[in-house]
Amino acid sequence: MAPAPEDDDVELSSSKPLDREFYTIPISSSWFQWDEIHETERKSLPEFFDGSSVSRNPRVYKEYRDFIINKYREEPSRRLTFTEVRKSLIGDVGALYRVFLFLDRWGLINFGAPVVARDDERAVVTAASVVEEGLPVGVRVVPASTAAVGAQGSAAGGDSGFRLPPLTSYADVFGDWMPGRGPVCGVCGKHCEPGEHETTRDGFFKCQKCSFEKGDEGKSGDGSKTNDHMNGNCDFGTRTWTDAETLLLLEAVMKHGDDWDLIAQHVRTKNKVDCIARLIQLPFGEHILGTIGGKCEIRNSNSQPADIRTIHHGTTENLQEIMSTDDKHDIQNDVEKVVEESSAAPPLKKRCRPSIIDATDSLMQQVALLATAAGPDIAAAAADAAVSALCKENPDIMNGFAADQHEATDKFASYTTQNELGSELTNQVQDVERNKEADISEPVPEKFAATAFRIRAAVATSLGATAARAKLLADQEEREIELLMASIIDMQLKKIQHKMKHFEELESIMEKEYADIQQQKESILEEWITVLQQSVGAGVQRWRDHAIPWSLLNSVL
Amino acid sequence: MKSLPPSASKGPVKFRMPTAENLVPIRLDIEIDGQRFRDAFSWNPDDPDSEVANFAKRTVKDLKLPPSFMTQIAQSIQTQLAEFRSFEGQEMQTKEKIVPLKLDLRVNNTVIRDQFLWDVSNFESDPEEFARTLCTDLDIIDPEVGPAIAVAIREQLYEIATQSVSSARESRLAKKGRRGAESITNSKMANGALDLMKIFGGKGSVLRKRKEWYLYEPIVDLLSNEEVEALDAREERTARLKKKLDDQEDSFQTPYSR
Repeated sequence: MAPAPEDDDVELSSSKPLDREFYTIPISSSWFQWDEIHETERKSLPEFFDGSSVSRNPRVYKEYRDFIINKYREEPSRRLTFTEVRKSLIGDVGALYRVFLFLDRWGLINFGAPVVARDDERAVVTAASVVEEGLPVGVRVVPASTAAVGAQGSAAGGDSGFRLPPLTSYADVFGDWMPGRGPVCGVCGKHCEPGEHETTRDGFFKCQKCSFEKGDEGKSGDGSKTNDHMNGNCDFGTRTWTDAETLLLLEAVMKHGDDWDLIAQHVRTKNKVDCIARLIQLPFGEHILGTIGGKCEIRNSNSQPADIRTIHHGTTENLQEIMSTDDKHDIQNDVEKVVEESSAAPPLKKRCRPSIIDATDSLMQQVALLATAAGPDIAAAAADAAVSALCKENPDIMNGFAADQHEATDKFASYTTQNELGSELTNQVQDVERNKEADISEPVPEKFAATAFRIRAAVATSLGATAARAKLLADQEEREIELLMASIIDMQLKKIQHKMKHFEELESIMEKEYADIQQQKESILEEWITVLQQSVGAGVQRWRDHAIPWSLLNSVL
Repeated sequence: MKSLPPSASKGPVKFRMPTAENLVPIRLDIEIDGQRFRDAFSWNPDDPDSEVANFAKRTVKDLKLPPSFMTQIAQSIQTQLAEFRSFEGQEMQTKEKIVPLKLDLRVNNTVIRDQFLWDVSNFESDPEEFARTLCTDLDIIDPEVGPAIAVAIREQLYEIATQSVSSARESRLAKKGRRGAESITNSKMANGALDLMKIFGGKGSVLRKRKEWYLYEPIVDLLSNEEVEALDAREERTARLKKKLDDQEDSFQTPYSR
């Protein structure tokens, strides 16, 4: 078995991301192996295996298959189309299309690529998906081929045609794999430069041979490098797991948690590292499968090697770290009411909100979003909860956050009204933290605690700062709103006063006019009286006085 | 003749289109009084002949063509169907044969050029499905392109199928008598077809050489309306020229035939 220090070297050299890549395939396709043709393939594409045709035989099928899968893996985020494939393969387009469709249907190609509308079934699978922290079962670690390393420049260029098939060898990721070594395959890597197809097959066989040699030597650790895709039911050669052993392993995991020495004792036939490797590989249910699209996206958006979560096989510490974080997740699971579907489920998976998945690369963005969405009270509460949770983990940090905590507790009273929402948010914030932790858990065991502490401190500080800022902004906003409100009320009052004044003016005018009219009335009356008096004085005849009324009366009648 | 696996030759089969659906490609190119009607589609030869007249009527009505087109369309379809049926009942060679098919089409504003290998002996092939995939892969929006590609494939398959009828006849004759004729038919057969043993047999790789990729890669061009008009005008001119030449030839020939 590979000694742990060597693996550490590998991990530390992760600044060269191309040394190791992993690809995602659905768990249902775990039958796939580079150097073998599985029963599923024989059944689905019988035309290649019934010997009825010259142009279709198993060898041709394998070449088609390997080429198509490699072509896809040059750029896993992009959807590979049939038209692209067929130009570089000789053969009946109908048969090629059937191979292409077969691979597409099983997710061996185009699995991480954006799903087109017609793939209904796959969309359904994705919907019922669960994100798993750390080591998703659907994700396999594949050491990149030496050919790929050799052609690194062109591969980085993007369009680059095609990395010649590293297909050859066979899966033994957990073995003594080391980058850059292995003269035989190195040679073949040179041979396999793009464009030199004639030599491809030579390289092919060479690689296969060397992998077989390796198998025969029982992984003596001579450093020959195999470059291959790891299979779900990965065949370890001499270290094949029987069902009984797997059962024992699961039992041991249930009993001893993450104490791998005890587990290895329990299983007896296998050593510690084997047990870990096996547990990582176990398919813990189909529902893990669909999440991989999201994972892929994360991987693609982050070119930094640190964000690529490589499975570190050799070091137990790393795994234990992951296990312990997962334990925490289990507690959380109860809160979030995740239904554990698999009976054999060890504490390795956890449901996550999609928004969290998106956020793993930009924590602050996520926090800011949450803060805007939830309002200052909740943000403050969340920050408070996060800080207190951190402090519980490590009381030393307590002092560091005294200020933040004070800030947060100011608002804590209002928090109780929106308790539910707030707690959910807290969970999310903690999730984010955990994601971060899981990302960061690079295995430098001595320094780990210190770095983790520092990172937690940084995260908590940033959370607190964000919350405080949100609160500040909200307060400012509130003040502004009050100010505006006051001015509005003021204006309204002024308006009413103006109206009152106006009405008063109107009233006075009316009164004046009334008085005028009264006066006029009196004067008219007076005038009338004087006229009457004058007429009496002048001695006007009575009949004439009545002449007009009488004539009027007649006309009316 | 190279030895094949015993099950490789399926034995003679009655003539049909070497595709899953036995559909005949029909091409119409009719010109009456300066008005030209061109179309291509596939037709199920098992449909009753009354359908042809119905189809012609429908087409003329839908495209608002002058009624004189109706009989012409029906006649053209009937002739092509009759030609297809003249092969029916005869035996055709079904030896495995992979041939390169070429596409060079212009449909409305889309120009597509392509080349690919097709297994003529596979009676489950589906040109329509292939065309559909091609169009979705290349994001061709024009709905007329797909059917045009399918018909173009069918036309070439049809031609190959008719050739295989004659080669089947020849090989039958060869079996009856002279042995030497066999090599002749084989060399004729191999015309354009791939040497299967060489490629798929022992050692050859089915990965195409990188420098040959461009040959088998579809090329799609979208023309502007002006370009389409220019192309149309040119095509019409050459067609007219050709017609004139044909007429001249006829006039030359008539004195001799008398």
